[in-house]
Parts: sequence; C-alpha cells; structure tokens
Amino acid sequence: MLRNTPDSWGAPAKLFHWVMAALILAQIALGVMAANWRVSPTKLELFFWHKSTGILILALVALRLAWRLANPVPLLPSGMAAWERAAARLGHLFLYALMIALPVTGWIVNSASNVPFRIFWLVPLPAIVAPDEPTADFVAEVHGGLAALLALVLAAHIGAALWHHFVKRDTVLERMLPRRAP
Amino acid sequence: MKRIVPVLGLCGLLAFAPLPAQGADWKMDPAGSKLEFIATFEKAAAPGEFKEFDARLRFDPDKPAGSRLEVTVKVTSADMNVADVNKEIRGKDWFDYAAFPQAEFRSTELRRIEGNRYVARGTLVLKGVKQPIEVPFSWTASADGAVMEGELLLSRGAFGIGTGEWTASDVIGADVKVKFKVKLRKAR
Ligand code: HEM
Ligand code: HEM
Repeated sequence: MLRNTPDSWGAPAKLFHWVMAALILAQIALGVMAANWRVSPTKLELFFWHKSTGILILALVALRLAWRLANPVPLLPSGMAAWERAAARLGHLFLYALMIALPVTGWIVNSASNVPFRIFWLVPLPAIVAPDEPTADFVAEVHGGLAALLALVLAAHIGAALWHHFVKRDTVLERMLPRRAP
Repeated sequence: MKRIVPVLGLCGLLAFAPLPAQGADWKMDPAGSKLEFIATFEKAAAPGEFKEFDARLRFDPDKPAGSRLEVTVKVTSADMNVADVNKEIRGKDWFDYAAFPQAEFRSTELRRIEGNRYVARGTLVLKGVKQPIEVPFSWTASADGAVMEGELLLSRGAFGIGTGEWTASDVIGADVKVKFKVKLRKAR
C-alpha cells in the first residue's frame, strides 16, 4: 500500500505527514526559543538547529509535493458541506504554502544578515540575497508573522482533524494514522 | 628657539647616521594591504578583517638576519560582516575594545626558510596577553616595492578572546586563521 487510493493515504504520504508534522512543531518551538534566548552559545546552538531543520523541511516539502502530484488524493467524505470542503482544501493549500514560505523567508534573513552557516555542519548555505541590514530586519518580521499564521492555521487543522474523528465520526483522521492496511 | 636648533641638529645626525641593522626600511601602503582573520562558527568559516593596521619593516631579502618587523593593529577596526556580531565582539568577553584597543607584534628574529619564504618570530600582544608566535611569509619584490603575504593559526583561548561561557570551542572554534597581505614601499 505505497500509493494513495481514493479512500486512504499510502505509507509514504503518511510518513511525510507525520515526520514533517513533528519537525514543524519542533521547528516553531526552536524558532521562538532561539529568537528570545539571551546572547550565549546556547542561542547560537538553537539557531543552528532551527536553520538546519528549516532547510530539511524545505527539502522534504519538495519531495512530498512531487509524491502528491504523482498520486491520487483521497476523496473527502461525502457528508461534508461545500464550505467544509472548501475550508479543508484552502487550509491544506495554506499549510503547503507556509511550509515553503517559512524556510524561504528564513533563508533570506540568513543571507541578508550575512551569517555564515553550514546546514547540519555539512553544506554551506549559499546566499540568495545580498547582505543588507534593513532587508534582514524586515524579512525577519515577515518570517515571524508567517510563523504566527502557521500556528493559527495548524490550530484549526488539528481542531478539524479531532472534530472529524470525535464529532463527525468519519474516517478522515484514521486514514492518515499509521495503521497497517486492512 | 635656542633649544630647538641643537635638537634639530641631532635629528639630522641620526637620520644620516648609518643604520645599526642591515636592510632597507619599508613602509606599508594601506590601500594594497589586508589583514583578515577567519574564525569558525558551527564549523562554518566566519571571516573578519582589521580595517586599520600598520606594518613597519627593516628587511633585506638576501640578509634577513638583521631584519625587524613591527605591526600595530587597531583592534577596534575589526569588522566581521554581521551587524550583531560586530556589536558583540566589542565586549569584555571578546576583544574588549575599551581596555585593549590595540594589538602589537614585534619580531625578535627573522630568518629565511627557503627561496622567498621567511619566518618572523616574535611577541604578539593581544588583549593584554603576551605570547610568542611565528609569522611565516613570502616576499615578492616588484618594480615599485614588495608584497609580503602569509597566514598563521592562532588559538583564541591563549589570548582570552571569548571568555566565560564562550571558552568552550564547540560553537565558536578554538583556532582562528590570520591572513595578511602587506604592500610595501621603500621608505625613501
Ligand atoms: C499534530 C497534529 C496533526 C493532526 C492530528 C493532523 C491530521 C491530519 C489529517 C487527518 C489529515 C488528512 C486529511 C485528509 O485525509 O483529507 C491531514 C492532512 C494534512 N496535514 Fe495534518 N495533522 C497534524 C499536523 C500537521 C502539521 C504540523 C502539518 C504541517 C504544516 C500538517 C499538514 C497537513 C497537510 C498539508 C495535509 C494535506 C495533505 C494533502 O492533501 O496532501 N499537519 N492532517
Ligand atoms: C518551516 C520552517 C520554519 C519555521 C516554522 C520557522 C519558525 C520560526 C519562528 C517561530 C521564529 C521566531 C519568531 C519570533 O519569535 O520572533 C523564527 C525565527 C527565525 N528563523 Fe525561522 N522558521 C523556519 C525556517 C527557518 C529557516 C530555514 C531559517 C534560516 C535558514 C530560519 C531562520 C530564522 C531566523 C534567523 C529567525 C530569527 C528572526 C529574528 O531575528 O527575529 N527559519 N522562525
């Protein structure tokens, strides 16, 4: 059951979803901690992990989208109202957009502030914009704002998943859970 | 006025007196010279530069024995390319600009290694700490002067650069590479 079917997500899609969910929740915590820690080796360490994880997320989302395009997407339950379907689609679209926009704006901040950085100590992150302090400050605000937006959309996303499971009692949550195929 | 005349006379005498050591005097051309230092941050190179420094040299490439090299570095001219880092390195834990605005190197011995490669041994005073160091360099003469170039590795801990919680070298590496290119002109 590698590929998605009209009823359920295949193993790779589930793996992508839950590995990335864990990374992104950790990533938000790392970002908030790094930004607010007093200047110390710990702060630099937090930023190192935040940036490395962020670039990993960017790489994973590219693979995930490629996999999604090559697979059918499970249909939403027939009982859902039109606005609910629209909200689900829009919400997922937002989540994908944010999974790209956050690492990209972070990368811009890192480039504009001219901080040397090797992803997981290995690969130097090339600069995508020229060093410039006002750019760094402004895009850092955008990055923080997008992160807050992500937290909001995620609250709705998780709330919706729980609502499907406990209120609507449909299969939406179950089909994303790592179960063996029936 | 009366006193100035004999003083001037003495200066004249000194200027024309034979030099005690061998070799010509060289003066640095700041425009063609560069003094860089490259620290590491989580294994990524973190380059910096001392924008203001001066080297004075008495040197004969063929008879280096009597030569002498003196370098003064305006530590407060350090630029590490990142605004937040530049703010941070002024502080007591790092260069401590307020207490130690200047660093100095004076050679005690200068000799040839081979060909156009030489080494100056001497004392570096940085952040108030005196340490013996060796400065290897190459010498390239040109029509209008000469260029000396080299690099060496210093341990920041030996000079107390990065104290307290910064002493640990896992985030900011222990070794700092120093690279220099000094363009020289014969002083008259
Ligand atoms: C930790 C709590 C989470 C729960 C309970 C959860 C639950 C779910 C469920 C049940 C689905 C399937 C929807 C369907 O079948 O139509 C889903 C899809 C999705 N989830 Fe989550 N999720 C969580 C966290 C996250 C996180 C942190 C992200 C990252 C941004 C995320 C991004 C997505 C995306 C983009 C989809 C749409 C998949 C697609 O259409 O390709 N989820 N989630
Ligand atoms: C999904 C990926 C990412 C998420 C969810 C995320 C989230 C966050 C959050 C929540 C903050 C704290 C905002 C604040 O409290 O002010 C933050 C700050 C920051 N992030 Fe990210 N980030 C991501 C990717 C990246 C990447 C890839 C980089 C760099 C390569 C990066 C660099 C930064 C920087 C430099 C800051 C500090 C900005 C400042 O000066 O205020 N982030 N991030």
